[in-house]
Amino acid sequence: MEQVSVISLWIALLLFGAAFALFIFHYLSRREQMNLRGVAVALAGWVALGVALILRAAVAERLPIVGAYESLALITWFVVAVYLVLELFTQVKKLGLYVMPAAIVFLGVAWSSYTAPAGLMPELQSDIVVLHVIVMFTAVGALYLAGCAALLYLVEERLLKRHRTGSVLGRLPSLATLDRLVYRATLIGVPFLTMGMVAGGIRAIAFGVDDWLVDPMVLLSLGAWAIYLALLYGHLRGGWGGRRAAWLAVAGLAVMLVIRFAAVPYWSGFHTYGG
Amino acid sequence: MLVVVVGISHATAPLELRERLALDGPAALGLARALQASGGACEAVALSTCNRTELYMYARDSLAAGQAALELLAGRAGCSPAALAPSTYSHSGEAAIAHLFRVVTSLDSMVLGEYQIVAQIREAYDSAREGGCTSVVFNRLFRHALEVGKRVRTETAIGEKPVSVSSAAVDLAEQVFGRLDDTTALIIGAGETGELTATHLRARGVHDILVTNRTFATARDMERRVGGRAVPIEDLEGHLAAADIVISSTSAPHFVVTRERVQRAARRRRGRPLFFIDIAVPRDLDPAIADLDGTFLYDIDDLEHVVARNRAEREKEAVKAEAIVTEELTKVDAWLRTLEVVPTIATLREAVEQIRESELRRLGSRLADLDEDQRAQVELLTSSIVNKILHLPTVTMKEVAGRDECYLYVDAVRTLFGLNGSGSGSRAEQGEARRAEGEPTEGGRGEAERAEAGRAEAGSSEAAAPAAAPEDARRADGVPGTGGAGEPGVATR
Repeated sequence: MEQVSVISLWIALLLFGAAFALFIFHYLSRREQMNLRGVAVALAGWVALGVALILRAAVAERLPIVGAYESLALITWFVVAVYLVLELFTQVKKLGLYVMPAAIVFLGVAWSSYTAPAGLMPELQSDIVVLHVIVMFTAVGALYLAGCAALLYLVEERLLKRHRTGSVLGRLPSLATLDRLVYRATLIGVPFLTMGMVAGGIRAIAFGVDDWLVDPMVLLSLGAWAIYLALLYGHLRGGWGGRRAAWLAVAGLAVMLVIRFAAVPYWSGFHTYGG
Repeated sequence: MLVVVVGISHATAPLELRERLALDGPAALGLARALQASGGACEAVALSTCNRTELYMYARDSLAAGQAALELLAGRAGCSPAALAPSTYSHSGEAAIAHLFRVVTSLDSMVLGEYQIVAQIREAYDSAREGGCTSVVFNRLFRHALEVGKRVRTETAIGEKPVSVSSAAVDLAEQVFGRLDDTTALIIGAGETGELTATHLRARGVHDILVTNRTFATARDMERRVGGRAVPIEDLEGHLAAADIVISSTSAPHFVVTRERVQRAARRRRGRPLFFIDIAVPRDLDPAIADLDGTFLYDIDDLEHVVARNRAEREKEAVKAEAIVTEELTKVDAWLRTLEVVPTIATLREAVEQIRESELRRLGSRLADLDEDQRAQVELLTSSIVNKILHLPTVTMKEVAGRDECYLYVDAVRTLFGLNGSGSGSRAEQGEARRAEGEPTEGGRGEAERAEAGRAEAGSSEAAAPAAAPEDARRADGVPGTGGAGEPGVATR
């Protein structure tokens, strides 16, 4: 069954690649059909990835949240899920071209750090850890998306200012759409991030982890949290414009990526289960 | 039988002439009917838009049909056909179908990629169909053309990007604000392009349009035309704070809106972006505005640049569209060829069968002393000879149906066996029309044809029915293809 799970993940990777190719073709040819086909293929890939995760969970008899392989695959699944919801149910369209490469890279890294399924180590057998992980994954999915939208916003704004309309018109969502997306995704992400951090803190105190507060990962998380709060504050107070919010979201994304790809695997003293 | 088109368009005729030939619905139908009545066309569709007036016909004699169409058009234009002729074009056969496809895909339009033409052709066709001016060929051809129009629009980006300055400006505004529903536009100065852009903005849902001008009365005038709200120019900063899209087209020799003014207004805007369009020459808006955070400034050159690039892009897409037209043309072509082959086979068999029957009748007295059985034998023998002779030509014709050289075979058979008599031709078409309404199966076709033959026979006097026995009609005038010039065929429709 584990083999089937890995094959399924492979299929997902291939489908995301195919979807990416279709999105590129759509970008070049501007044929609406290509985008629709790309979305369909991405949806198929998302389902395949879901199957892979479910099978993995069945083999390990727990949630697939341990180790880089599982957690990255799960994050990819969340990110693609959010993208599909946006594409299918909202006016935020044509982001596939930017989401797919991220999904491919994440899955690629996941696959390259494959580990055989193992049971849960005793340290992680607690409800608060499960809560912490699920909440954090949701936050990460939303905040990654906010960061990507913010990057696009900054690029598009610059292009429009310089009258480089050819690469913008009909190819990117409007600035207003991206601005809204940055704000809304952050608005969803921040409460989950807060909850996840609180859950993590409770667990650290309960288990008596030494010096948990000065762990690089915890410090970085607090930094990201402050950035996102500033973003929300600026938006609520008004007068900040889309640009500053976008820069904050990009900064937040940078911190989040550092946490994911440097702090979790290398720097953190106690947080190495994720990968 | 050929598809023929005669018409005038923006490419061949000045507006003044096109106006005189513009047809409303009933007039177009009248013209199509007149074409049928004059015997020039079996099927006809008249298309009229502000850029073209065209008559499509399905006719046996393309030259005669073209002439009839030209005369009708000249009649409407109030001039002689000879005077009108230089302003018209005409195509027949494949070229006519290609023309229809190019028209429906907007490849022949004044503005490449415009999409109204599909609806206009649909309307023209629907009205002709309801008026009974179309049948098998045009029903299929026009539906196919509409499909081609649709296909080009889904498979190419020929109509995607705007090619006018005002709609390009609106497109850019949408790229900044998304939907324009809750935006406010400010129009400074009275100018045609500014007004046009305002109308476009209104059409895309801009909810408030402020109009201002150096003289307030002019602003009031414009307010009525674009459906906005005239505001005094003195409070320009206040308007700048309220508006999201600013269009300026004054004739002022200096900058009307300076960087400082925008900066002051921006403080009240709480970071909302501001989109400026400068249509005036000399410019109204200080270029330094573009350096401010959250502002976008486009002048007329930038917009023209966008339009030029969009136009170039449409032209690039037009190449793809032409390829689609060519591809679709081969489909229609193959179909039209089979359309010619089947009735030719039927007519051929019918003609030969009639020879056989009349020869038998002629021998009637001498066969009288044969008994029932022997007569049946003779019947069988003659039938089998006829069938044997016709077998190979029939099979060969069916084989070549749909191939390029198919016309040659059809022509050869029609000439060699003298099948071009009008009676037989129109009869074959009638059979065709009836068959299309029922089941277009092989069996169905044969039956319809036989029923037709049977009726002609039942009329016993060979000249009685309008669809006279082709053989005798031919004998009478000796020259195939001239008898009656299609008149009886049309009369019976």
